[in-house]
Amino acid sequence: MASTSKDHVAENEEALNEKVATDLEPGACLESILNPTDSFEEFASEISTSLEDRKTSLTIKSSTISEIQNEIGDSSKESSLRETKSSDNLQAKNESMSASASNSNLLEENEEESDEKDDYLQSPELVNKEKHVFILSSAGKPIYSRYGNEDKLAGLCGVIQALVSVVEEPNQDILRSINTKDCKAVFLVKGPLILVTVSKSNESETQLVLQLTYAFNQIVSVLTLTQLNRIFEQRRNYDLRRLLSGAERLIDHLFIFMEKDPAFLLGAVRCLPLPEKARENITQAITSTCNKIRDLVFAIMIAGNQLITLVRMKKYTLHPSDIHLLFNLVRSSESFKTAESWTPICLPKFDATGFLHGHVSYISEDCQACLLLLTVQRDAFFPLSQAKHTIAEKLRRSNCLVAINDALNRNKELPTTNPLKHIGIPEIRHFMYKCKSTAQLFTSDPISLDRLQDYRLRHKEGGDITVKKIEKLSDIDYVRNYRQFCNQIHCISTPAKLIFRSNSHDTVLAWVTNGFELYVTFDPLMEKDHAIRAVDRLLHWIKKEEQRIFIMNAPTF
Amino acid sequence: MSRCDFKIVLLGSEHVGKTSLVIRFVNCRFNSGTPYQNTIGAAFCAKQMQSHDREFNVGIWDTAGSERYEAMTRMYYRGAHAAIICYDPASLASWTRLRHWLQELRTVEEDCKVYLCGTKKDLLDTGTVQREVPEDIIATYSQGLHGHFLTSSKTGENVDELFQKIVDDCVKDLKVMKIVEEARVQLQKEDNEKNKNYCYC
Repeated sequence: MASTSKDHVAENEEALNEKVATDLEPGACLESILNPTDSFEEFASEISTSLEDRKTSLTIKSSTISEIQNEIGDSSKESSLRETKSSDNLQAKNESMSASASNSNLLEENEEESDEKDDYLQSPELVNKEKHVFILSSAGKPIYSRYGNEDKLAGLCGVIQALVSVVEEPNQDILRSINTKDCKAVFLVKGPLILVTVSKSNESETQLVLQLTYAFNQIVSVLTLTQLNRIFEQRRNYDLRRLLSGAERLIDHLFIFMEKDPAFLLGAVRCLPLPEKARENITQAITSTCNKIRDLVFAIMIAGNQLITLVRMKKYTLHPSDIHLLFNLVRSSESFKTAESWTPICLPKFDATGFLHGHVSYISEDCQACLLLLTVQRDAFFPLSQAKHTIAEKLRRSNCLVAINDALNRNKELPTTNPLKHIGIPEIRHFMYKCKSTAQLFTSDPISLDRLQDYRLRHKEGGDITVKKIEKLSDIDYVRNYRQFCNQIHCISTPAKLIFRSNSHDTVLAWVTNGFELYVTFDPLMEKDHAIRAVDRLLHWIKKEEQRIFIMNAPTF
Repeated sequence: MSRCDFKIVLLGSEHVGKTSLVIRFVNCRFNSGTPYQNTIGAAFCAKQMQSHDREFNVGIWDTAGSERYEAMTRMYYRGAHAAIICYDPASLASWTRLRHWLQELRTVEEDCKVYLCGTKKDLLDTGTVQREVPEDIIATYSQGLHGHFLTSSKTGENVDELFQKIVDDCVKDLKVMKIVEEARVQLQKEDNEKNKNYCYC
């Protein structure tokens, strides 16, 4: 093994800072369509919460949706249909009593059938998985298991519930994680749900908590927080699977997606690289068609987990994690391809208490871009359907569909298809760049459509730990490698600003400034100053191409 | 704006094959390769159909069978001219749910024509599954309704017949046709006005 050197030396950083401080960092613009809140900040708040905070943190303050409805002046029509949220604490004292009671029941049950259960825990469906995810109700009822059949995991869920409440009850403390030699178990109690992941991957506790938070948000996105809380207020023992049927697929896909796509690691959104003019035309087609539709909140066009454009109602922005949930929904639902859909969607960061109604459809048979028109009006299907056809027609006439298809099929002539070749720095093997102020991301080897297709085919199978020699690293492998650097950079107690690590496999440089985050993999044994010069050229290239690879404006209706 | 003359809504519990029925009818295909996926919310399709030598545009709402969308399903059958309630003859549970929809329709949309549709006929025919819903019970139930069809979205058997019968029934219904004609005239007027606004200059 070659020597490993880690460096946080200030002088290096200064040298780097000087070079780019002259103008705005690549990708930055004055107004952003995305709410650039860092998901790591969210983790910090998640970690700092005491037991008391946790009980109140999920009570809802105000509803954005009703705010919009008030503004457009038809609140009376809809407000009667919206559920109201009681501000009661999620768990009253006497309920926790019954929690421990039901818990002991479960344990007894477990003893009776313990032989059978033990066998199941050893079954090939469950052993040797890289990452397990279990979701259960606070009463210990199984809701979701990533692998195997959650019905047969009642015993395990009882144990999880017992662990959580044993730490909670006498000590007024929170169980966050259990670490063994090769395995981390991370716990997250959110509202009426307990989410647990047992992972042998190299992801940090922070990253795992974020993934569990995403899973929780996915459930909220399907049910709304209001409904989720109300169900368990009424019946603590409710079997949530009845309401979630069909949504397990969304959670399955979400975890695969989170493990592969750096967008989650960095809390950013990937944009489909497009010529500036084409993106402008697309945005223009949407705004000119939709500016008369008063209750439209967002018009979002996406393709292959990448954002093409987002037009929004004034004052409102979307959080990257809400967009990720939309990506996940579109990617995991075949039914959108065959017909126009009218779908209730809750965006937890935007408003966890209510549904937006979404007209979801693909632009045309020959273009795999999906248009989502999100409104607060539940019977607006036909005007939106009409708008969609008008938009599709305009896009076809202005040749935008061709531009989208070129980008999606990674046409060789585009500079963004193979950026490393285009930049011409052979020592760089891979990079990923996040512009912090706009929460947008660009990587040197975007996951292609085929590969996304590929991960979609794997359903409950797979996920086994395999030891195989990797011949050529893919985007996914590089991203997996960046996880630890990302973790050091976002470490709450002692965050690193610049990491330079070189060994016989590769050299990795991770660098965070006020404006961006950059992760670069070079050839092994790279000299520090050489690497810095290469990064400088790389940043210039990104700056030069920023109009193409980022969305640089924040259009409204 | 809706340029559909007739509105048809599909109801029934999850996994009985409502979406497959619509895809067979509208796109004339059946994807045996794609695994089952639940519909999220509802999906809308339109198709041109002929009846009594006239063209009609039929709008079809394919609703989600999942329980969590139940509260929303009402808005899809409001104002529907016809409802197809689907069940899987090999699933007693899906038949039990069907009675719930019948009741709902009777109270909410009295004028809506109701058709029963047993799905997955090919599976019954080949003996892959056993019938769980007795035929005499179905016969009793369908007496007061507009029809009962046993269809297969895989082979296409009885699918067109079902939709053709619905449109024929609607055309025969003078009350419905009066409204349809009025709507057409109204649309025509609007179109003319629209054209006036930016043409001929």
